[in-house]
Amino acid sequence: MNISILSPTGEIYQGKITSVQLPGTTGLFEVLANHAPMVAALGQGTGRIINTDGKKMAFTIEGGFVEVLKNEVSLLVRGYQAK
Amino acid sequence: MANLKEVRERIKSVIGTQQITKAMKMVSAAKLRKAQNAIVQMRPYSVKLSQILSNIMANLEGDAGGAYGVQREIKTACVVVVTSSRGLCGAFNTNIIKSAVATIDSELSEVRKNGKLTILCIGKKGYDFFRKRYKDCTIISDYVMTYNDPSFDNVAIASQSVMDEFVAAKYDLVTISYGRFKNAAMQFAETEQFLPVKRLEATASKTKSDYIFEPSKEQLLKTLIPNILQTQFQKCVLDTIASEHGARMTAMDKATENAEGLLIDLRINYNKARQEAITKELSEIVGGAAAL
Repeated sequence: MNISILSPTGEIYQGKITSVQLPGTTGLFEVLANHAPMVAALGQGTGRIINTDGKKMAFTIEGGFVEVLKNEVSLLVRGYQAK
Repeated sequence: MANLKEVRERIKSVIGTQQITKAMKMVSAAKLRKAQNAIVQMRPYSVKLSQILSNIMANLEGDAGGAYGVQREIKTACVVVVTSSRGLCGAFNTNIIKSAVATIDSELSEVRKNGKLTILCIGKKGYDFFRKRYKDCTIISDYVMTYNDPSFDNVAIASQSVMDEFVAAKYDLVTISYGRFKNAAMQFAETEQFLPVKRLEATASKTKSDYIFEPSKEQLLKTLIPNILQTQFQKCVLDTIASEHGARMTAMDKATENAEGLLIDLRINYNKARQEAITKELSEIVGGAAAL
């Protein structure tokens, strides 16, 4: 599935991934391929992405939102910092 | 007829000024590109935000403004004025200030009379204006310098403070005056209502997709709306910055043109004076020769 990480200052990352782990306001959760449509608010914490090559990527955020629709993950973040 | 040396000095100074205005135009052109870029960069974020909002709205009944959409009788108000911090950009700042003043004089004159008007200035030019002439109003100067560092987080501090005051019922109405950017040659000074937000109602959309909302829709909205408002506010600031550089480009281009016109006149004067001096000298020589 595809992910695009957007911040108010521009697009940070776009790519194909197999899974993404995110800090929701109610707890950590993970999105895999063919996830049901979802909108969630994110809190402060660490996000982890595993892309199709098996490469891992981690980052911290201060908050944001995520929308999952038809294997398209749109991540809107505030205070993004690569780890 | 002006004397030769004087005219020569003036020509020199006009050329100097022309070089400065030309350079300023080019600097503004570069800065404009950067400012425009910032607007474009923010677009995907804000578009996605409003998409998410409409998704939630499609699954929700009634109004979504929440605490930010409360309509109260307008007894107190806050006018946000976003201007540039520097001049030399034509009537740009004046137009924004004029637009803000027009709102104050028409809709908010009653509020001002009661001394309940607050003016929040972003950018030095607006602050200088209102500080001197609107002594009966509360002027907030904490965010004047925000204009010089318009990062999202920095601007969010300003917008958040306004939103908090609104929720605390310290303001019943918040308007924002800024320079809307259309293109390099066109900017519009505009005053918009910032708070309360206009009614956000579910547009009769058929795309009622089965979203999982986490946490609940209501909770989501509570965090989403402030984010959208902050983005809106940010856009106003970024627009003003791009407009400022656009306005300065036009102003400096005009100034360079005017200098060129001035130079043509001065050069004609200079040559006339020179010719006159030569003619005078010649006739003196001829006159002297004839006397012999």
